[in-house]
Amino acid sequence: MKRDKANRLFIFVILMIVAVAMVIPYFAMLSNSFKTTKETLANPEHILPQEPTTEGYRKVLFEAPFFKWLGNSVFITVINTVTVLFTSSLLGYVFSKFTFKGKNALFMLLLSTMMVPAQTTMIPSFILINAIGLYDSPWALIIPAFISAFGIYLCKQFCDEIPRELMESAKMDGAGDMRIYFKIVLPQIRPAIGALGIFTFMGYWNDYLGPLIYLNSTERMTLPLALSYFSNDHAADLSAVMAAAALIMIPVTIVFILFQKQFIKGISMTGMK
Amino acid sequence: MRNKKFVLLILIPAFFHLAVFMLMPIIGSGVISFMDYNPLRTDNAFIGFDNYVRMLGDKVFYKALTNTLIFVFSTVAINLVLSLTLAALISQLKSNKSRSFFRMIVFIPCVAPIVASSVVWGGIVFRTKGGLLNMIANACGGNAVNWLGDANFLMISVIIFTLWADIGYNVILFSAGMDGIPAEIYQASEIDGAGKWRQFFSLTLPLLSRTFAFVLIMTLISQFQMFAQFEVLAFKNGPQNSGLVLTSFIYKTAFVYKDMGYASAISMFFFVIILVITLIQQRLSKVKWEY
Repeated sequence: MKRDKANRLFIFVILMIVAVAMVIPYFAMLSNSFKTTKETLANPEHILPQEPTTEGYRKVLFEAPFFKWLGNSVFITVINTVTVLFTSSLLGYVFSKFTFKGKNALFMLLLSTMMVPAQTTMIPSFILINAIGLYDSPWALIIPAFISAFGIYLCKQFCDEIPRELMESAKMDGAGDMRIYFKIVLPQIRPAIGALGIFTFMGYWNDYLGPLIYLNSTERMTLPLALSYFSNDHAADLSAVMAAAALIMIPVTIVFILFQKQFIKGISMTGMK
Repeated sequence: MRNKKFVLLILIPAFFHLAVFMLMPIIGSGVISFMDYNPLRTDNAFIGFDNYVRMLGDKVFYKALTNTLIFVFSTVAINLVLSLTLAALISQLKSNKSRSFFRMIVFIPCVAPIVASSVVWGGIVFRTKGGLLNMIANACGGNAVNWLGDANFLMISVIIFTLWADIGYNVILFSAGMDGIPAEIYQASEIDGAGKWRQFFSLTLPLLSRTFAFVLIMTLISQFQMFAQFEVLAFKNGPQNSGLVLTSFIYKTAFVYKDMGYASAISMFFFVIILVITLIQQRLSKVKWEY
């Protein structure tokens, strides 16, 4: 028993070291964002800023179009998440509960698109987006995102679990297919919707490759792209760069910590990245 | 259920969208790979297999391929060993609270955009003068290293960063797998006198094989497609192209040099790699795993 306790203490110490390693970059980011760049370079060993300054934050928030970038990110991410949730659940319902010709072939076709890497489709997609006049428009990142093969697959799995009788009795009461979708399917697959919502939101919020290819003007950028642009532009101004990074990383981190249970359940449920 | 009108009303727009934004680009990529395609020109000629021939003779392509393989296999191997170890250690803790606490901590970097955390690491962790890693190295009596500017260290740096940024997913997945193993199995083995190590290797690992196969494949695929950290940490592909991987090679060839035909050929090659891994996964998932 004593050995058991010693073992557990040892494990705890190791895990604490790992935990510190995980959060140190965050701590250093925050600390540096409140230091002047001069202090960071002259006395990097200072753990906390000696003369704290918010100059870096002022530069990001008021000298760069930060709120525009934030607005662009919110606009694209919210529309994409809502449409993906709607189309995924609706198509999942159709593929799960209806019989029609060619169902299996269509579903396989849909699934097979999941294994194509973005790097393979990005060149023709860019040419297409350019040809229909959407280059440098937020819609270039919204319209192609309407359908998510993974989302449909996930929702279908959950729809499969809904008992047939539940739908049939609703039908007997005269409910139409769309009514059944809203009244029965959506409430029944709530866990799938929750997980899919979190990860769709995160995927588009953090997306870098899409905006990099489709957006060009500074004021149209989303936050991740804007950050890489900003940090190249202000390479010598570490304080401002760290302030910009903090403004992007801290809100998502707080949201995660508040909803950690849902996040973690979502990952173990879907195996999604 | 049957309702032809309803089904068609939903499927037709959905598959029209899929055809335009997914199937057309896939086929398009194949077609463009046989062309000398520059988006700034109006006339783009078919040149047969020239792009593929050029690829096979291109030293930079081989450099990118080797770098990609080194990056993917080291990251995946270290990631799996570390995440399995961490998940096992966390599962040894008695209280639920401390278990969820550590799972949460290792997952924190996973929610941030990789670009942002790369910028942070590039700015304060990997900096040569006064960067965190070099301060630790100096404190331990070691020499300062030019993490991002030295061809021998650039890839190691990106690997360290990627492990930090990405390991949380697998810790969570392995933890979930371990939680799914019935406690009675462990109790029975304890009665038989098995120690913790023995339990881990003879019970946990074999019972986790299904999760393990899934995690292995998903991690492989996702590491092949890593891109943002190379754009930020490998400045201009790094010294002697030491930080050039296939994803950034495709991106730069297509969008910086506007050589879209050649980039498409490389992207088709890239597609084949991912396809092979996916097919192996489908084979594996058909294998019966027994508890």
